[in-house]
Amino acid sequence: MSRAKLQRLGIDLPLFPTTSVGSFPKPDFLLKARADFAKKKIRRGALEKAERQATEFWIRKQEELGVDVLVDGEMYRSDMVAYFAEYLKGFEEGGLVRSYGNRYYHKPIITGEVRWEEPITVEWWKYARGLTSKPLKGMLTGPYTVMDWSFIEYYPDRRTACLALAKEIRKEVEALIEEGAKIIQIDEPAISVRPEELSVAIEAMHKVTDGLPAYFITHICYGAFENIYPGMLDLPVDNFDLETSNSGLDMLELFQKRRYTKDLSLGVVDVHTHVVEDKAVVEQRLRQALEVLPKEAIWVDPDCGLKTRTVNEAIAKMQSVVTAAKALRENSDK
Amino acid sequence: MELTLCNHSSYPRIGDDAEQQLLRRAIAQRDRGEKTDEDVRAAEERMTELALAEQAEAGLDLVTDGQIRWPDPISHLAAKLSGVRINGLLRFFDTNFYFRQPVVQGKIERTEPLLLEEFKYAQEKSTRPVKAVLTGPYTLARHSIEENGGVGGFDKMLEGYTAALAAEVAALAAAGATVIQVEEPALLKYPDDFPRLEQSLTALAMSKASAQLALVFYFGDPGPIYDHLQTLPVDLLGLDFTYNPSLVDRVASNGTARTLALGLVDGRNTRLEDPAVAARQLEKLAHGADLNRAYLGPSCGLEFLPRDRARQKLKHLTVIKNTFLGSLA
Repeated sequence: MSRAKLQRLGIDLPLFPTTSVGSFPKPDFLLKARADFAKKKIRRGALEKAERQATEFWIRKQEELGVDVLVDGEMYRSDMVAYFAEYLKGFEEGGLVRSYGNRYYHKPIITGEVRWEEPITVEWWKYARGLTSKPLKGMLTGPYTVMDWSFIEYYPDRRTACLALAKEIRKEVEALIEEGAKIIQIDEPAISVRPEELSVAIEAMHKVTDGLPAYFITHICYGAFENIYPGMLDLPVDNFDLETSNSGLDMLELFQKRRYTKDLSLGVVDVHTHVVEDKAVVEQRLRQALEVLPKEAIWVDPDCGLKTRTVNEAIAKMQSVVTAAKALRENSDK
Repeated sequence: MELTLCNHSSYPRIGDDAEQQLLRRAIAQRDRGEKTDEDVRAAEERMTELALAEQAEAGLDLVTDGQIRWPDPISHLAAKLSGVRINGLLRFFDTNFYFRQPVVQGKIERTEPLLLEEFKYAQEKSTRPVKAVLTGPYTLARHSIEENGGVGGFDKMLEGYTAALAAEVAALAAAGATVIQVEEPALLKYPDDFPRLEQSLTALAMSKASAQLALVFYFGDPGPIYDHLQTLPVDLLGLDFTYNPSLVDRVASNGTARTLALGLVDGRNTRLEDPAVAARQLEKLAHGADLNRAYLGPSCGLEFLPRDRARQKLKHLTVIKNTFLGSLA
């Protein structure tokens, strides 16, 4: 486990640290503010006020629940790629494209050279950090995923686009570290779908993280992990945050065949169902992981961002995560 | 030179203006208990009509219903079959689009029509001939898992899906479908399974009556199996030309015994093809295929593009065709 690295960074976490993948659902008052802003009924300042209120709501809620490593909940983001495309130069907003069922997102279009010109997430990270004394993750989307989830008109090929993005995203990582972020999650959910491009994703992640003093997590979900394991272990990060409960924890079988060498944030609740898993189900999933991995390596969280659930469902699912982790922690201490 | 312009399969069911948001709103309101299933059905019908109209306006000769009602290419069909339940989300190939996975629990049976009513509706509302589109049995089976013993393995699942879809092909043909498209992108990932595909398609071909059966591949290079495809009992072959630039040369040199549906326009990227480049590809293809009988269209369903760009791509087909015809003059 990279616990030693965390300690070097001054972060002391309990066994089975609990966290969440990043996004939480936007409370009704924020949804209304966003709708009003879209209709030009309110100004940006009023929207930002609602975003700050919602961020505070989720920071307080995570503290009440007893989550160990907090996130700001991404109240100010539309989605994980479009948000960064909005602030990086070289992108145009594309129209709506379906993600699944009745969910859609604005898929950006790369029409020029991508450039980072100023911090994107740093002010929100600082605001959230001011609300809590607990560790707070910096949350970014990785270059491979930004590339894969954008239309590419400017660059001649995917690798060139990906590496150009990596160079610019590193500047955001540096800006977060400069403000004090010590745990930074760089989401790469797209990484597992084109195994032939894993080397491109690894090369890009090196460009983003090499030589920087932070504990790096990468979140990957809804893909065929078997196609990129164990090669994915070459990604220069400390912790893989994986969607595992939705796929029946089948990743664990892979880990039995080839040793897993990083920390693992284990997804123990499904984010695409209204059903809230009870503590026993979550504990059982954790015990399954413990058969394969050392306890010091395991973090506990949902499969993916909870933004698609209602506020109450998200809270209930986080409650299940925390309760099960604590129970196991206590048993483990005995 | 005829060169029929056609859509591939799906069309965006959402757009940026208010009317194009109709279905999204209706579903969200239904889920909150504010609207009924009937309201959602009405929204689906309206969006289908819009999709048909936009395809016709773009100058297409052969349209689809846009698959407006489909949650995804897998569960829309599988959910209507007995012996199958629908499970969690999985990524659809290498896209950022997700399907719900079928779980086969017992004998797969078609107890109701799968697409018949949707096809009839589109046919009634369209000013152009409508192509019926089915995800093929092999691709359905490849995206399914079994539980509680299921039906006893992949081949049994394939057999079950094949029987169900053969009945649907018969029903669509009886309802007047002149072109029935069966999509089998999964085979490109498992080319050694070609004999399985052949067996499955033979069953479908026996049910097509006078309709033309089209076998379509997308999201990959069909080059490695191109020569084998010529032996299949289908009338049309639909090929995605965006994955391998040399596929054009292969078709030109090896020829084809089938009518081709040429997926030259990239359905996954917004960048518009250079008409002169596409025209040159057509010139080459004319050496191996009879373009008088051929179809020109996108490489895959257009749901992966924003609506305005999907529309642009369809209109671009006419530009490419005219550039090609101009080069012949």
